[in-house]
Amino acid sequence: MEQRMTQDAPSMPDDREVLETAMEAGHILLENGAEIFRVEETMERIAAHFGVERREFFVLSNGIFTTGDCLPGQKGGQYARVLHIPVRGAQLDRVVAVNQLSREIEAGRYTLAQVRERLEAIRQMPGEPPLMQVLASGVGSACFCGLFGGSAMDCAAAFVAGLLLYIFVLSVSAKHMTKIVGNILGGALVTLVCIICYSLGFGEDINHMIIGSIIPLVPGVPFTNGIRDIADGDYISGAVRLLDAMLVFLCVAIGVGVMFTVYRRLMGGVLL
Amino acid sequence: MITQTLLAAVGTAAFALLFGVPRRYFPFCAVIGGAGWLLYAALVQYAGATPTEATFFATVLVILLSRACAVLERCPVTVFLICGIFPLVPGAGIYWTSYYLVTAQMRLAMSSGFAAMKAAIAIVLGIVFVFEIPNGFFRVLAGKRP
Repeated sequence: MEQRMTQDAPSMPDDREVLETAMEAGHILLENGAEIFRVEETMERIAAHFGVERREFFVLSNGIFTTGDCLPGQKGGQYARVLHIPVRGAQLDRVVAVNQLSREIEAGRYTLAQVRERLEAIRQMPGEPPLMQVLASGVGSACFCGLFGGSAMDCAAAFVAGLLLYIFVLSVSAKHMTKIVGNILGGALVTLVCIICYSLGFGEDINHMIIGSIIPLVPGVPFTNGIRDIADGDYISGAVRLLDAMLVFLCVAIGVGVMFTVYRRLMGGVLL
Repeated sequence: MITQTLLAAVGTAAFALLFGVPRRYFPFCAVIGGAGWLLYAALVQYAGATPTEATFFATVLVILLSRACAVLERCPVTVFLICGIFPLVPGAGIYWTSYYLVTAQMRLAMSSGFAAMKAAIAIVLGIVFVFEIPNGFFRVLAGKRP
């Protein structure tokens, strides 16, 4: 460490900028569904590689706290920053990209300015187009409907419900609604579509149809990450993520239940 | 069962897309999801395992495969794990629980809710235990130097 410091001394970037960059990398990771320890590890790697000697990172599921002592002779002295990161949907290709970047940084392939450029590029990564997402939701719904015992007709109906669900998710609930309301309405929408399909004779077993098409709402990312964070000893973050997952599960179930009840009240008859 | 495995594989790949997994990893996700379901179905059907036990062993398989792929491809395990575990998440159990609750069949609601909870705990245990295995093991498995 000492040796490298003196070697690279002329090109050594300002500690402050290094820590800013590390926070930026951490921000992208956390926002897109990385585990807590991966965020900490990546920030640590970047800071260590660019020679920041005294640094502390504390990462929670929705915030990053960083402090550092800058080297004498550089502007500033203490560095301290808190970054609030609201819980959002995951986009795992960004996690993969930042992970790859951090390996390449360790191999010494980038200057700090280049790292910042790459991070900006990763932030701008477009992700899958909405049409593909809607199609994937439909296909996924149909597959899971079949998996849980639905017939071909059921799968076709689940496909339609899955498509409509994701159109709703992308155009309405993700943009304008809180998670709670969005998921209740999502569950209700799926149930409504399935009831309509079923009443029109499209699909044979309404239960399988609904089970298949609510699967796109299942909070796989917070559930899995929450467990892993708790296993790593990051109890606060893990608990928050599991709470997030439980809440979504519960809301979807409420949505389905409410729509069933409404249907029964309106139709007056026995359901199914 | 073969059809179901294929469905699980395609379904897993579809969810990989929803989660923004890079496209080159879709085949890995599909194989992992399919393998997990195949083991689950085989255990329930031929070995007389309860769904909870089958979920546990299938989760273990999914995570072993995910970690091997992660080492092989040098990318975060999350990418494979989150998608591959999807067929095992008790989505159906949650549906039945709310269905029975709404139709006021409390005993059935209790038992299906409890079953969903047990499946979730089986997944948790599977994840926790397999992540205890040191990474070196998977490097050897993937034919890389530890």
